[in-house]
Amino acid sequence: MERKQAATRRTADVGLIDCDVHIYGVDEEILSHVDPAERDWFRLQGGVGLPGYPFGHPTGWFRHDSEYELGTRDGNSLEATQHQLLDAFGVDVGVLTASYGLAVSLMTSTYRAETFARAHNEWVREQWLDQEPRFRGSIVCPAQEPRAAAAEIRRMAEDDRFVQVLLIGGSERPYGDPRYLPIFEAASECGLPVAIHSGGEAVGVAAPPGGAGMPSFYIEWHTLGAAGSIMAHLVSLLCHGAFDRFPTLKVLLMEGGVAWLPGILWRLDTNWRALRSEIPWLERKPSEAVREHVKFTTQPLEHTDGHDKLLFEMLEAVGAPDILCFASDYPHWDSDDPAFMLRRLPEAWRETVMHSNAAALYGPRLALATA
Amino acid sequence: MSGEWHDVGSLGELERDGRVIASVGGREVGVLLDPVGDRLVAVRNRCPHQGGPLCAGVVSERIRGRPGTYDLERQSVLRCPWHGWEFDVESGICRDDPRMRVAVYPVKVDNGRVLVKA
Repeated sequence: MERKQAATRRTADVGLIDCDVHIYGVDEEILSHVDPAERDWFRLQGGVGLPGYPFGHPTGWFRHDSEYELGTRDGNSLEATQHQLLDAFGVDVGVLTASYGLAVSLMTSTYRAETFARAHNEWVREQWLDQEPRFRGSIVCPAQEPRAAAAEIRRMAEDDRFVQVLLIGGSERPYGDPRYLPIFEAASECGLPVAIHSGGEAVGVAAPPGGAGMPSFYIEWHTLGAAGSIMAHLVSLLCHGAFDRFPTLKVLLMEGGVAWLPGILWRLDTNWRALRSEIPWLERKPSEAVREHVKFTTQPLEHTDGHDKLLFEMLEAVGAPDILCFASDYPHWDSDDPAFMLRRLPEAWRETVMHSNAAALYGPRLALATA
Repeated sequence: MSGEWHDVGSLGELERDGRVIASVGGREVGVLLDPVGDRLVAVRNRCPHQGGPLCAGVVSERIRGRPGTYDLERQSVLRCPWHGWEFDVESGICRDDPRMRVAVYPVKVDNGRVLVKA
Protein backbone atom coordinates (compact mmCIF):
# COMPACT_ATOMS: atom_id res chain seq x y z
CA MET A 1 0.00 0.00 0.00
CA GLU A 2 2.83 2.34 0.86
CA ARG A 3 4.40 1.62 -2.52
CA LYS A 4 1.21 2.62 -4.33
CA GLN A 5 1.05 5.92 -2.52
CA ALA A 6 4.62 6.64 -3.50
CA ALA A 7 3.68 5.91 -7.12
CA THR A 8 0.85 8.40 -6.96
CA ARG A 9 3.07 11.13 -5.60
CA ARG A 10 5.78 10.61 -8.14
CA THR A 11 3.58 10.36 -11.21
CA ALA A 12 1.19 13.18 -10.36
CA ASP A 13 3.69 15.91 -11.15
CA VAL A 14 4.30 14.68 -14.70
CA GLY A 15 0.65 14.48 -15.73
CA LEU A 16 0.57 10.75 -16.23
CA ILE A 17 -1.15 9.58 -19.42
CA ASP A 18 -2.04 5.90 -19.72
CA CYS A 19 -2.56 4.92 -23.37
CA ASP A 20 -4.00 1.44 -22.84
CA VAL A 21 -6.93 0.93 -20.48
CA HIS A 22 -9.24 -1.99 -21.24
CA ILE A 23 -12.86 -1.84 -20.26
CA TYR A 24 -15.53 -4.40 -19.57
CA GLY A 25 -19.25 -4.21 -19.19
CA VAL A 26 -22.48 -6.12 -18.93
CA ASP A 27 -23.39 -7.63 -22.31
CA GLU A 28 -26.94 -6.27 -22.14
CA GLU A 29 -25.62 -2.75 -21.56
CA ILE A 30 -23.73 -2.88 -24.82
CA LEU A 31 -26.54 -4.65 -26.64
CA SER A 32 -29.00 -1.97 -25.52
CA HIS A 33 -27.37 0.16 -28.24
CA VAL A 34 -28.15 -2.47 -30.90
CA ASP A 35 -31.39 -2.18 -32.86
CA PRO A 36 -34.00 -4.66 -31.51
CA ALA A 37 -34.17 -6.36 -34.91
CA GLU A 38 -30.57 -7.49 -34.45
CA ARG A 39 -30.29 -7.78 -30.68
CA ASP A 40 -31.37 -11.40 -30.36
CA TRP A 41 -28.79 -12.50 -32.88
CA PHE A 42 -26.00 -11.10 -30.68
CA ARG A 43 -27.56 -12.59 -27.52
CA LEU A 44 -27.75 -16.04 -29.05
CA GLN A 45 -24.17 -16.21 -30.33
CA GLY A 46 -22.50 -16.31 -26.91
CA GLY A 47 -19.77 -13.80 -26.09
CA VAL A 48 -21.91 -11.10 -27.72
CA GLY A 49 -21.22 -12.59 -31.13
CA LEU A 50 -17.49 -11.95 -31.24
CA PRO A 51 -15.21 -14.78 -32.38
CA GLY A 52 -13.18 -16.44 -29.60
CA TYR A 53 -9.50 -17.21 -29.25
CA PRO A 54 -8.30 -20.72 -30.05
CA PHE A 55 -6.29 -20.67 -26.80
CA GLY A 56 -7.04 -18.82 -23.56
CA HIS A 57 -4.74 -17.60 -20.80
CA PRO A 58 -4.03 -20.64 -18.59
CA THR A 59 -4.83 -18.87 -15.30
CA GLY A 60 -7.06 -15.99 -16.41
CA TRP A 61 -6.72 -12.85 -18.53
CA PHE A 62 -7.11 -10.46 -15.60
CA ARG A 63 -5.02 -9.19 -12.74
CA HIS A 64 -6.22 -11.46 -9.96
CA ASP A 65 -6.78 -8.60 -7.55
CA SER A 66 -8.84 -6.82 -10.16
CA GLU A 67 -11.97 -5.64 -8.41
CA TYR A 68 -13.82 -6.21 -11.64
CA GLU A 69 -12.87 -9.86 -11.73
CA LEU A 70 -13.60 -10.33 -8.05
CA GLY A 71 -17.19 -9.54 -8.94
CA THR A 72 -17.55 -6.62 -6.58
CA ARG A 73 -18.57 -4.20 -9.31
CA ASP A 74 -21.60 -5.90 -10.85
CA GLY A 75 -19.79 -6.90 -14.02
CA ASN A 76 -18.93 -3.35 -15.04
CA SER A 77 -15.33 -2.33 -14.59
CA LEU A 78 -15.92 1.45 -14.38
CA GLU A 79 -15.59 1.88 -10.63
CA ALA A 80 -12.79 -0.67 -10.38
CA THR A 81 -10.86 1.24 -13.04
CA GLN A 82 -11.46 4.57 -11.36
CA HIS A 83 -10.27 3.20 -8.05
CA GLN A 84 -7.48 0.78 -9.00
CA LEU A 85 -6.04 2.68 -11.95
CA LEU A 86 -6.87 6.39 -11.87
CA ASP A 87 -6.72 6.86 -8.11
CA ALA A 88 -4.22 4.23 -6.96
CA PHE A 89 -1.74 4.78 -9.80
CA GLY A 90 -2.27 8.53 -10.12
CA VAL A 91 -3.25 8.33 -13.78
CA ASP A 92 -4.41 11.77 -14.95
CA VAL A 93 -5.80 10.67 -18.30
CA GLY A 94 -6.65 7.12 -19.34
CA VAL A 95 -7.26 6.30 -22.99
CA LEU A 96 -9.86 3.54 -23.17
CA THR A 97 -8.95 0.80 -25.61
CA ALA A 98 -12.09 -1.31 -25.59
CA SER A 99 -11.95 -5.06 -25.06
CA TYR A 100 -14.81 -6.82 -26.87
CA GLY A 101 -14.93 -3.95 -29.34
CA LEU A 102 -11.37 -4.60 -30.46
CA ALA A 103 -12.50 -7.89 -31.94
CA VAL A 104 -15.19 -6.40 -34.14
CA SER A 105 -12.88 -6.52 -37.17
CA LEU A 106 -12.60 -10.28 -36.79
CA MET A 107 -16.29 -11.02 -37.28
CA THR A 108 -17.28 -12.99 -40.36
CA SER A 109 -20.40 -10.89 -41.01
CA THR A 110 -19.46 -7.36 -41.97
CA TYR A 111 -23.08 -6.27 -41.33
CA ARG A 112 -23.00 -7.49 -37.74
CA ALA A 113 -19.54 -5.97 -37.31
CA GLU A 114 -20.82 -2.59 -38.42
CA THR A 115 -23.71 -2.85 -35.97
CA PHE A 116 -21.53 -3.93 -33.07
CA ALA A 117 -18.92 -1.21 -33.67
CA ARG A 118 -21.63 1.45 -33.53
CA ALA A 119 -23.15 -0.03 -30.38
CA HIS A 120 -19.77 -0.33 -28.69
CA ASN A 121 -18.86 3.27 -29.45
CA GLU A 122 -22.19 4.49 -28.07
CA TRP A 123 -21.70 2.35 -24.95
CA VAL A 124 -18.24 3.87 -24.38
CA ARG A 125 -19.70 7.34 -24.76
CA GLU A 126 -22.54 6.79 -22.28
CA GLN A 127 -21.13 4.35 -19.76
CA TRP A 128 -17.59 5.63 -19.59
CA LEU A 129 -16.91 9.09 -21.01
CA ASP A 130 -20.09 10.61 -19.60
CA GLN A 131 -19.23 9.13 -16.19
CA GLU A 132 -15.56 10.03 -15.78
CA PRO A 133 -13.82 13.11 -17.22
CA ARG A 134 -10.37 11.53 -16.87
CA PHE A 135 -11.17 9.01 -19.60
CA ARG A 136 -10.80 9.42 -23.34
CA GLY A 137 -12.26 7.04 -25.92
CA SER A 138 -11.12 5.07 -28.96
CA ILE A 139 -13.33 4.62 -32.00
CA VAL A 140 -13.71 0.97 -32.94
CA CYS A 141 -14.69 0.20 -36.52
CA PRO A 142 -15.19 -2.82 -38.81
CA ALA A 143 -11.82 -2.83 -40.56
CA GLN A 144 -12.86 -5.81 -42.70
CA GLU A 145 -15.34 -3.43 -44.40
CA PRO A 146 -13.23 -0.26 -44.78
CA ARG A 147 -15.90 2.00 -46.26
CA ALA A 148 -18.24 1.28 -43.35
CA ALA A 149 -15.31 1.75 -40.98
CA ALA A 150 -14.58 5.17 -42.45
CA ALA A 151 -18.20 6.22 -42.03
CA GLU A 152 -18.16 5.18 -38.37
CA ILE A 153 -14.90 7.06 -37.79
CA ARG A 154 -16.37 10.25 -39.24
CA ARG A 155 -19.56 9.84 -37.20
CA MET A 156 -17.76 9.34 -33.88
CA ALA A 157 -15.03 11.92 -34.49
CA GLU A 158 -17.65 14.62 -33.92
CA ASP A 159 -17.41 13.80 -30.21
CA ASP A 160 -14.03 15.24 -29.31
CA ARG A 161 -13.64 12.97 -26.29
CA PHE A 162 -12.74 10.23 -28.77
CA VAL A 163 -9.02 10.66 -29.40
CA GLN A 164 -8.11 7.86 -31.84
CA VAL A 165 -9.20 5.13 -34.20
CA LEU A 166 -8.54 1.66 -32.80
CA LEU A 167 -7.70 -1.35 -34.97
CA ILE A 168 -6.74 -4.86 -33.86
CA GLY A 169 -3.52 -6.67 -34.81
CA GLY A 170 -5.31 -9.68 -36.33
CA SER A 171 -6.38 -8.86 -39.88
CA GLU A 172 -6.93 -10.33 -43.33
CA ARG A 173 -4.03 -8.36 -44.85
CA PRO A 174 -1.53 -6.02 -43.21
CA TYR A 175 -2.94 -2.50 -42.93
CA GLY A 176 -0.75 -0.85 -45.56
CA ASP A 177 -2.81 -2.72 -48.17
CA PRO A 178 -4.75 -0.25 -50.35
CA ARG A 179 -8.07 -1.85 -49.37
CA TYR A 180 -7.73 -0.11 -45.97
CA LEU A 181 -7.11 3.36 -47.42
CA PRO A 182 -10.61 4.65 -46.53
CA ILE A 183 -9.83 4.07 -42.84
CA PHE A 184 -6.56 6.01 -42.89
CA GLU A 185 -8.09 8.70 -45.06
CA ALA A 186 -10.96 9.23 -42.60
CA ALA A 187 -8.61 9.24 -39.60
CA SER A 188 -6.34 11.78 -41.28
CA GLU A 189 -9.23 14.00 -42.26
CA CYS A 190 -10.51 13.96 -38.68
CA GLY A 191 -7.02 14.54 -37.26
CA LEU A 192 -7.12 11.27 -35.34
CA PRO A 193 -4.18 8.92 -34.82
CA VAL A 194 -4.71 5.27 -35.75
CA ALA A 195 -3.85 2.87 -32.93
CA ILE A 196 -3.20 -0.76 -33.77
CA HIS A 197 -3.46 -2.98 -30.70
CA SER A 198 -2.05 -6.51 -30.80
CA GLY A 199 -4.53 -9.35 -30.43
CA GLY A 200 -6.92 -11.36 -32.53
CA GLU A 201 -4.26 -13.11 -34.57
CA ALA A 202 -5.73 -16.43 -35.77
CA VAL A 203 -9.17 -15.34 -34.55
CA GLY A 204 -12.23 -15.07 -36.81
CA VAL A 205 -11.29 -13.81 -40.27
CA ALA A 206 -7.73 -12.93 -39.22
CA ALA A 207 -4.68 -14.75 -40.54
CA PRO A 208 -2.71 -16.95 -38.14
CA PRO A 209 0.48 -15.45 -36.71
CA GLY A 210 3.65 -15.80 -38.77
CA GLY A 211 4.00 -18.16 -41.71
CA ALA A 212 4.68 -21.32 -39.74
CA GLY A 213 1.12 -22.33 -39.01
CA MET A 214 -0.96 -22.38 -35.87
CA PRO A 215 0.90 -22.39 -32.53
CA SER A 216 -0.22 -24.69 -29.72
CA PHE A 217 -0.17 -22.46 -26.66
CA TYR A 218 -1.20 -19.08 -25.34
CA ILE A 219 2.44 -18.42 -24.46
CA GLU A 220 3.46 -18.88 -28.11
CA TRP A 221 0.72 -16.57 -29.28
CA HIS A 222 1.55 -13.97 -26.64
CA THR A 223 5.24 -14.07 -27.57
CA LEU A 224 5.02 -14.19 -31.36
CA GLY A 225 1.49 -13.55 -32.53
CA ALA A 226 1.07 -10.29 -30.69
CA ALA A 227 4.46 -8.92 -31.70
CA GLY A 228 4.33 -10.40 -35.21
CA SER A 229 1.13 -8.71 -36.29
CA ILE A 230 2.43 -5.35 -35.06
CA MET A 231 5.68 -5.84 -37.00
CA ALA A 232 3.71 -6.81 -40.10
CA HIS A 233 1.48 -3.73 -39.92
CA LEU A 234 4.44 -1.44 -39.35
CA VAL A 235 6.43 -2.81 -42.29
CA SER A 236 3.32 -2.79 -44.50
CA LEU A 237 2.40 0.82 -43.70
CA LEU A 238 5.97 1.94 -44.35
CA CYS A 239 6.34 0.01 -47.61
CA HIS A 240 3.02 1.18 -48.98
CA GLY A 241 4.01 4.78 -48.34
CA ALA A 242 1.11 5.45 -45.93
CA PHE A 243 2.94 8.47 -44.55
CA ASP A 244 3.58 9.87 -48.03
CA ARG A 245 -0.11 9.56 -48.84
CA PHE A 246 -1.15 11.05 -45.50
CA PRO A 247 1.58 13.42 -44.33
CA THR A 248 -0.22 14.22 -41.07
CA LEU A 249 -1.03 10.60 -40.19
CA LYS A 250 0.17 9.30 -36.81
CA VAL A 251 0.12 5.64 -35.85
CA LEU A 252 0.34 4.18 -32.35
CA LEU A 253 1.44 0.54 -32.18
CA MET A 254 0.22 -1.09 -29.02
CA GLU A 255 1.25 -4.03 -26.89
CA GLY A 256 3.53 -5.68 -29.41
CA GLY A 257 6.75 -5.04 -27.49
CA VAL A 258 9.59 -2.77 -28.63
CA ALA A 259 12.88 -4.63 -28.19
CA TRP A 260 12.55 -5.98 -31.74
CA LEU A 261 12.13 -2.54 -33.25
CA PRO A 262 15.81 -1.72 -33.96
CA GLY A 263 16.29 -5.13 -35.58
CA ILE A 264 13.25 -4.81 -37.85
CA LEU A 265 14.06 -1.24 -38.88
CA TRP A 266 17.71 -2.00 -39.57
CA ARG A 267 16.63 -5.00 -41.61
CA LEU A 268 14.03 -2.99 -43.51
CA ASP A 269 16.45 -0.12 -44.22
CA THR A 270 19.05 -2.59 -45.48
CA ASN A 271 16.51 -4.24 -47.76
CA TRP A 272 15.24 -0.88 -48.96
CA ARG A 273 18.66 0.04 -50.33
CA ALA A 274 18.60 -2.98 -52.63
CA LEU A 275 14.87 -3.43 -53.24
CA ARG A 276 13.72 0.18 -53.39
CA SER A 277 12.63 -0.06 -57.02
CA GLU A 278 9.69 -2.19 -55.84
CA ILE A 279 8.45 0.66 -53.65
CA PRO A 280 10.07 3.66 -55.38
CA TRP A 281 7.77 6.15 -53.64
CA LEU A 282 9.92 5.76 -50.53
CA GLU A 283 12.54 8.42 -51.13
CA ARG A 284 14.00 8.10 -47.64
CA LYS A 285 15.03 5.18 -45.51
CA PRO A 286 11.82 3.65 -44.11
CA SER A 287 13.04 4.11 -40.53
CA GLU A 288 12.98 7.89 -40.93
CA ALA A 289 9.19 7.89 -41.25
CA VAL A 290 8.96 6.00 -37.95
CA ARG A 291 10.53 8.85 -36.02
CA GLU A 292 8.00 11.31 -37.45
CA HIS A 293 4.82 9.27 -37.61
CA VAL A 294 4.86 6.22 -35.35
CA LYS A 295 4.76 5.72 -31.60
CA PHE A 296 4.77 2.58 -29.49
CA THR A 297 3.21 1.80 -26.13
CA THR A 298 5.58 0.57 -23.46
CA GLN A 299 3.65 -2.33 -21.99
CA PRO A 300 4.76 -5.09 -21.90
CA LEU A 301 8.29 -3.65 -21.98
CA GLU A 302 10.53 -6.66 -22.34
CA HIS A 303 12.42 -7.73 -19.22
CA THR A 304 16.08 -7.77 -20.12
CA ASP A 305 17.74 -9.85 -17.38
CA GLY A 306 19.82 -6.88 -16.28
CA HIS A 307 20.44 -5.42 -19.75
CA ASP A 308 18.09 -2.44 -19.58
CA LYS A 309 20.94 -0.08 -20.44
CA LEU A 310 21.53 -2.02 -23.65
CA LEU A 311 17.82 -2.02 -24.49
CA PHE A 312 17.52 1.73 -24.03
CA GLU A 313 20.65 2.38 -26.09
CA MET A 314 19.26 0.30 -28.95
CA LEU A 315 15.91 2.04 -28.76
CA GLU A 316 17.66 5.40 -28.77
CA ALA A 317 19.18 4.46 -32.12
CA VAL A 318 15.69 4.32 -33.65
CA GLY A 319 14.19 7.41 -32.05
CA ALA A 320 13.50 6.72 -28.37
CA PRO A 321 12.48 8.28 -26.08
CA ASP A 322 10.33 10.27 -28.54
CA ILE A 323 8.60 7.14 -29.90
CA LEU A 324 7.46 5.63 -26.57
CA CYS A 325 4.19 6.25 -24.72
CA PHE A 326 3.39 4.77 -21.33
CA ALA A 327 0.61 2.19 -21.15
CA SER A 328 -0.55 0.10 -18.21
CA ASP A 329 -2.86 -2.38 -19.99
CA TYR A 330 -5.03 -2.41 -16.85
CA PRO A 331 -6.69 -4.73 -15.82
CA HIS A 332 -4.87 -7.49 -17.68
CA TRP A 333 -2.57 -10.04 -16.07
CA ASP A 334 0.60 -8.49 -17.51
CA SER A 335 -0.23 -4.85 -16.78
CA ASP A 336 2.55 -2.44 -15.80
CA ASP A 337 2.48 -0.26 -12.71
CA PRO A 338 3.62 3.27 -13.67
CA ALA A 339 5.93 3.35 -10.63
CA PHE A 340 7.65 0.23 -11.95
CA MET A 341 8.04 1.85 -15.36
CA LEU A 342 9.44 5.04 -13.82
CA ARG A 343 12.06 3.01 -11.98
CA ARG A 344 13.17 1.31 -15.18
CA LEU A 345 13.24 4.31 -17.52
CA PRO A 346 16.34 6.51 -17.76
CA GLU A 347 15.65 9.69 -15.80
CA ALA A 348 15.87 11.90 -18.89
CA TRP A 349 13.13 9.84 -20.58
CA ARG A 350 10.53 9.87 -17.83
CA GLU A 351 8.52 13.00 -18.57
CA THR A 352 8.65 12.31 -22.32
CA VAL A 353 7.43 8.72 -22.05
CA MET A 354 4.91 9.15 -19.23
CA HIS A 355 3.37 12.37 -20.57
CA SER A 356 4.63 14.50 -23.46
CA ASN A 357 4.69 11.97 -26.29
CA ALA A 358 1.06 11.00 -25.70
CA ALA A 359 0.07 14.63 -25.15
CA ALA A 360 1.58 15.55 -28.53
CA LEU A 361 0.04 12.50 -30.22
CA TYR A 362 -3.50 13.24 -29.07
CA GLY A 363 -3.30 17.02 -29.09
CA PRO A 364 -6.16 19.22 -27.96
CA ARG A 365 -8.66 16.35 -27.58
CA LEU A 366 -6.57 15.04 -24.72
CA ALA A 367 -6.00 18.37 -23.01
CA LEU A 368 -9.72 18.75 -22.49
CA ALA A 369 -9.67 15.80 -20.15
CA THR A 370 -7.73 17.63 -17.52
CA ALA A 371 -9.92 20.78 -17.69
CA MET B 1 40.84 17.17 -61.80
CA SER B 2 44.46 16.71 -62.62
CA GLY B 3 45.66 13.52 -64.27
CA GLU B 4 46.58 11.92 -67.50
CA TRP B 5 44.39 10.47 -70.19
CA HIS B 6 44.71 6.67 -70.25
CA ASP B 7 43.75 4.36 -73.12
CA VAL B 8 41.42 1.67 -71.65
CA GLY B 9 40.32 -0.08 -74.85
CA SER B 10 38.58 0.29 -78.17
CA LEU B 11 35.09 1.72 -78.70
CA GLY B 12 34.24 -1.40 -80.73
CA GLU B 13 35.08 -3.63 -77.77
CA LEU B 14 32.98 -1.47 -75.44
CA GLU B 15 30.00 -1.50 -77.81
CA ARG B 16 30.28 -5.27 -78.18
CA ASP B 17 30.60 -6.09 -74.43
CA GLY B 18 28.67 -3.16 -72.98
CA ARG B 19 31.72 -2.18 -70.94
CA VAL B 20 35.51 -2.15 -70.80
CA ILE B 21 37.46 -2.56 -67.59
CA ALA B 22 41.12 -1.64 -67.29
CA SER B 23 43.72 -0.84 -64.69
CA VAL B 24 44.37 2.89 -64.51
CA GLY B 25 47.07 4.15 -62.16
CA GLY B 26 46.81 0.98 -60.05
CA ARG B 27 42.99 1.09 -59.83
CA GLU B 28 40.40 -0.78 -61.82
CA VAL B 29 38.15 1.55 -63.76
CA GLY B 30 35.19 0.58 -65.89
CA VAL B 31 33.72 2.50 -68.81
CA LEU B 32 30.06 1.78 -69.54
CA LEU B 33 27.50 2.94 -72.03
CA ASP B 34 24.78 5.05 -70.44
CA PRO B 35 21.77 4.35 -72.68
CA VAL B 36 19.73 7.14 -71.12
CA GLY B 37 22.16 9.92 -71.89
CA ASP B 38 23.62 8.06 -74.89
CA ARG B 39 27.08 8.68 -73.54
CA LEU B 40 29.97 6.92 -71.84
CA VAL B 41 30.59 6.97 -68.08
CA ALA B 42 33.76 5.96 -66.23
CA VAL B 43 33.46 4.59 -62.69
CA ARG B 44 35.88 2.93 -60.31
CA ASN B 45 35.24 -0.81 -60.38
CA ARG B 46 34.85 -1.23 -56.65
CA CYS B 47 31.62 -0.74 -54.72
CA PRO B 48 32.23 1.28 -51.55
CA HIS B 49 29.72 -0.93 -49.71
CA GLN B 50 31.44 -4.34 -49.71
CA GLY B 51 33.98 -4.06 -52.50
CA GLY B 52 31.93 -5.79 -55.21
CA PRO B 53 32.78 -5.35 -58.92
CA LEU B 54 30.51 -2.36 -59.43
CA CYS B 55 31.08 -2.06 -63.18
CA ALA B 56 29.63 -5.54 -63.76
CA GLY B 57 26.31 -3.88 -62.90
CA VAL B 58 23.73 -2.31 -65.18
CA VAL B 59 23.27 1.36 -66.05
CA SER B 60 19.61 2.26 -66.31
CA GLU B 61 17.05 4.86 -65.39
CA ARG B 62 16.21 5.04 -61.72
CA ILE B 63 12.59 4.19 -60.94
CA ARG B 64 10.50 6.53 -58.85
CA GLY B 65 6.80 6.99 -58.12
CA ARG B 66 4.01 8.02 -55.84
CA PRO B 67 2.38 5.34 -53.65
CA GLY B 68 1.02 2.73 -56.05
CA THR B 69 2.54 4.16 -59.27
CA TYR B 70 5.83 3.57 -61.09
CA ASP B 71 7.70 6.01 -63.29
CA LEU B 72 11.17 6.53 -64.75
CA GLU B 73 13.31 9.33 -63.47
CA ARG B 74 15.39 10.15 -66.59
CA GLN B 75 18.42 9.96 -64.31
CA SER B 76 20.97 7.21 -64.88
CA VAL B 77 22.21 5.03 -62.09
CA LEU B 78 24.68 2.15 -61.99
CA ARG B 79 23.29 -0.75 -59.95
CA CYS B 80 25.87 -2.82 -58.09
CA PRO B 81 25.66 -6.49 -59.09
CA TRP B 82 26.05 -7.65 -55.50
CA HIS B 83 23.43 -5.87 -53.34
CA GLY B 84 21.69 -3.67 -55.87
CA TRP B 85 22.65 -0.29 -54.40
CA GLU B 86 22.40 2.42 -57.04
CA PHE B 87 25.04 5.07 -57.79
CA ASP B 88 24.52 8.29 -59.70
CA VAL B 89 26.81 7.98 -62.74
CA GLU B 90 27.62 11.69 -62.80
CA SER B 91 28.44 12.37 -59.16
CA GLY B 92 29.24 8.83 -57.99
CA ILE B 93 26.99 9.37 -54.96
CA CYS B 94 25.02 6.36 -53.74
CA ARG B 95 21.35 7.29 -54.12
CA ASP B 96 20.41 4.76 -51.44
CA ASP B 97 22.97 5.91 -48.88
CA PRO B 98 24.40 9.34 -49.71
CA ARG B 99 27.21 8.82 -47.22
CA MET B 100 28.77 6.54 -49.84
CA ARG B 101 30.37 7.66 -53.05
CA VAL B 102 32.34 5.93 -55.78
CA ALA B 103 35.02 7.72 -57.83
CA VAL B 104 33.93 8.80 -61.34
CA TYR B 105 36.26 10.01 -64.10
CA PRO B 106 36.14 12.11 -67.27
CA VAL B 107 35.93 9.91 -70.37
CA LYS B 108 36.25 10.62 -74.11
CA VAL B 109 36.65 8.79 -77.41
CA ASP B 110 39.54 9.65 -79.67
CA ASN B 111 40.12 7.89 -82.96
CA GLY B 112 38.13 4.83 -81.91
CA ARG B 113 39.98 4.55 -78.60
CA VAL B 114 38.31 5.04 -75.18
CA LEU B 115 40.30 7.41 -72.94
CA VAL B 116 39.86 7.94 -69.18
CA LYS B 117 41.41 10.82 -67.25
CA ALA B 118 42.73 9.72 -63.87
